[in-house]
Amino acid sequence: MEKFDVTVIGGGPGGYPAAIRAAQLGASVALIEKEELGGTCLNWGCIPTKTLIASSELFHRMKHADTLGLSAGKPDFDYAAMSKRKDAVVNKLKAGIGMLMKGNGVKVFNGIGSFVGRNRISVAGKDGREIAVIETSATIIATGSESAMPGFIPKGDCIVESRGFLGLTKLPSSLIVLGGGVIGCEFACMTAQLGSKVTVVEMLEDILITLDADIRRELRTNMEKNLGIRVLTGKPLEKIAAGKGKVSGMFGDEKIEADMMIVAIGRRPVTKGLALEKVGITTNKAGFIPVDEFCRTSVATIYAIGDVNGGIQLAHAATSQGITAAENICSKQRKKAERLVPSCIFTSPEIGSVGLTEQAAREKSLNVKIGKFPFAALGKAMASAEDRGFVKWVVDASTDQLLGAHAVGAHATELISEAATAVRAELTAGEIGRTVHCHPTFSEIWMEAAHAVHGECIHAAPKRK
Amino acid sequence: MAQVLILPKLGQTMEEGAIVKWHKKEGDPVKKGDIVFEIETDKAALEVESFFEGTLLKILLNEGITVPVNTPVGYVGQPGEKLPDAPPTVAPVAKPEVPKAAAASTPARDVQRPAVEMPAVGRTPKPAAVELPKAGPSRLFISPRARALVKKCVIDATGIRGSGPDGRIIEKDVQNYLDSHGYSQLRISPAAKKLAAKEGIDILKVKATGDGGRIMVHDVERAVAEKPKAMSKMRQVIARRLTESFSSIPHFYVSVSVDMTDLMLFRQDLKNSGKKFTVTDFILEAVTLSLVEFPVVNSYTDGTSVSLRSSVQLGMAVSVTDGLVVPVIRNAEILSMQELHDISQVLAGKAREGKLLPDDMTGSTFTVSNMGMLDVDNFNAIINPGEAAILAVASTKPTPAVHAGQIKIRQIMKITLSVDHRIVDGAVGAAFANSVKKKLEDIELWKSLT
Repeated sequence: MEKFDVTVIGGGPGGYPAAIRAAQLGASVALIEKEELGGTCLNWGCIPTKTLIASSELFHRMKHADTLGLSAGKPDFDYAAMSKRKDAVVNKLKAGIGMLMKGNGVKVFNGIGSFVGRNRISVAGKDGREIAVIETSATIIATGSESAMPGFIPKGDCIVESRGFLGLTKLPSSLIVLGGGVIGCEFACMTAQLGSKVTVVEMLEDILITLDADIRRELRTNMEKNLGIRVLTGKPLEKIAAGKGKVSGMFGDEKIEADMMIVAIGRRPVTKGLALEKVGITTNKAGFIPVDEFCRTSVATIYAIGDVNGGIQLAHAATSQGITAAENICSKQRKKAERLVPSCIFTSPEIGSVGLTEQAAREKSLNVKIGKFPFAALGKAMASAEDRGFVKWVVDASTDQLLGAHAVGAHATELISEAATAVRAELTAGEIGRTVHCHPTFSEIWMEAAHAVHGECIHAAPKRK
Repeated sequence: MAQVLILPKLGQTMEEGAIVKWHKKEGDPVKKGDIVFEIETDKAALEVESFFEGTLLKILLNEGITVPVNTPVGYVGQPGEKLPDAPPTVAPVAKPEVPKAAAASTPARDVQRPAVEMPAVGRTPKPAAVELPKAGPSRLFISPRARALVKKCVIDATGIRGSGPDGRIIEKDVQNYLDSHGYSQLRISPAAKKLAAKEGIDILKVKATGDGGRIMVHDVERAVAEKPKAMSKMRQVIARRLTESFSSIPHFYVSVSVDMTDLMLFRQDLKNSGKKFTVTDFILEAVTLSLVEFPVVNSYTDGTSVSLRSSVQLGMAVSVTDGLVVPVIRNAEILSMQELHDISQVLAGKAREGKLLPDDMTGSTFTVSNMGMLDVDNFNAIINPGEAAILAVASTKPTPAVHAGQIKIRQIMKITLSVDHRIVDGAVGAAFANSVKKKLEDIELWKSLT
């Protein structure tokens, strides 16, 4: 039996920062990880996909290099090499986390943790045999989520979820993407940029339905017109059948066929093996562990953070919650988890979003003003030949408060951080408009869009009244 | 010729009211029978239908302003029709509201009264002039520079002591006030400050919850929510009447336990044979019969004289959204059980739908307040002004009780009589309470009544 102040179950982007923060605050910390440090994000999610997308994006630009006055012959790619680079990046980062654990004195247990009691956790190795028993004062559950694979989808080599797709060393020549959410759209854009014929099928009326409607429209147009992706929405894909090297399904009356299908229709919480019933925690209908605003479960000494608690399913939300949970355990002052979480989508073009969408603000019956500015009117964007898209501020008309910001276009995922800072600090559109932004940069667009809120744009013609 | 809409008199005792909501906007078409606006009197909220057909040309009375009955509130006519320059003087009791366009120098406000002032039952009405409100809070003597600073800092100036001539607040006073209240240490988000300015919130009084003690929008919103607001007219009436009663009538209380076991079984038998009565029906009937036997409990005193009422005007308290109303069953002593049931059902239904007219709620001589459905053991009610007693009925609960010399589980209901001791003494109160109890426990009586 080993004793720890804090035990973290799950070493993903929520769990390992929680462990580090607890150690920084003087706690003795154990981290239980069943597979790889870094979790889904580092091993089978954010990082490997972004590595591949970096290649596909550059490849796509190379194909259009003549518009910049360049010629590099006929560009080509080697997917196996791309995949190898991806693995190298992942391994380097993973090793880094191992070093951080060591450096902070966090003891890592490789196995599956399950509760024996509220303060006792048993760790089982791969063969199911108990390899350690931990006595802990507090526990942070950070077990994350996994791709949902409902029963109506047949099993077959040509039907994969995101993790399986990332293991490929050769791209299919045609691909059905089932589910037009973040994961589905990112894979769709990446494979289309590399020349695959891609069809996205989304049951809801649009892809990325929670996004601001203007942003969605811009992305969808780009996916369809510039990348040649077929986007089918509003109906489910039925009668899915997997044959030899072929997969098909019915969208209404039309038969959709491809060499491969990637299933990206949502993620399920991972709670199997935790033995939550031993501590009296019940999951909700969807299987998530309910928590309060301090990330506490119904058991005062057990916290749950990240995907498993059913909040926002984003790595950086998990990190923030993990740090908050560790601080709430190790210090006397309790903090609420941050509620303002920006999101980024690495489609082509990229999307960044924070705070309220225009539609959500109107649904709350807020009186909103909108300030929009296109990259096409921005010097730096034109100079860089990256002038697609726009940004948009959602502003409270009565107080001028910035309620939300949305960006679609090159570097949108980077640009959104300035907006997140502004929204969190409850700045006004007037203040962003007066903040001096470097020229010529992409960031200037926030200042221009803030001017647009008040109809005082410098670089756009006034609206005719 | 445009027709004038007036604030209707909806009951004999209704003297004034306010429009709480216009259902039509200026320019909206109006048909006969359309609901044009909703008014609130000191008794109830009511929807008012149009007698005219046409277009709502002009709204003369905005929402939330209390005016005497018969005051013109708007015009219905044909689009483009010319309106009279001065509104008609339908209401002889007060000057009507004047349309805004002509209102520049007209003291249109003099028909308004502060919402707090009600026509009080049993109080000497004061001359209207005395009740007129002062123009807002007393005027603040403050220099323009000081006022500008107060506005810029989003604080409330009423707590600042003036050092200028005649106690006038000058800029230095505001500066000292800011310094002594730690204004320079105050941290507030830009949006929170704008919101506070807009809502008239003193940011020195807002509790901060942001990082490092920064005042956030959320904090200001909380302060806005906590700011005192006028209660609904109904709540104000409840507050005034209950305070008056509880502070001027010496209450005493008598509780008895009623064994409802047999009556519940009997009621079930009746139900099975197709006759539906509620427990309340039996209580109302038992009370009516007892009031006939004890007229003093059905009486009223002002402290020097007594009026013995010859009939039972039985009030039944009904809880409604955000309040309580007491519709009255007229001459309950001459009603059969069935009639009593039917009338109480109708009144309770009207009460819940907000359809009671003021006349439905005046003149009660005794009130029954039944909390039976709210799972309570016992409670004391406050006497309705103008009455001598009120009966509080609690929930019927299975309780160990002595029955025929043995301890049994019986259905026991506690009832508590609140009595005006100026006119009813303990012995009479006890006898009355026991009379109600005996009647409820007497199944033979109910067999003859149902």
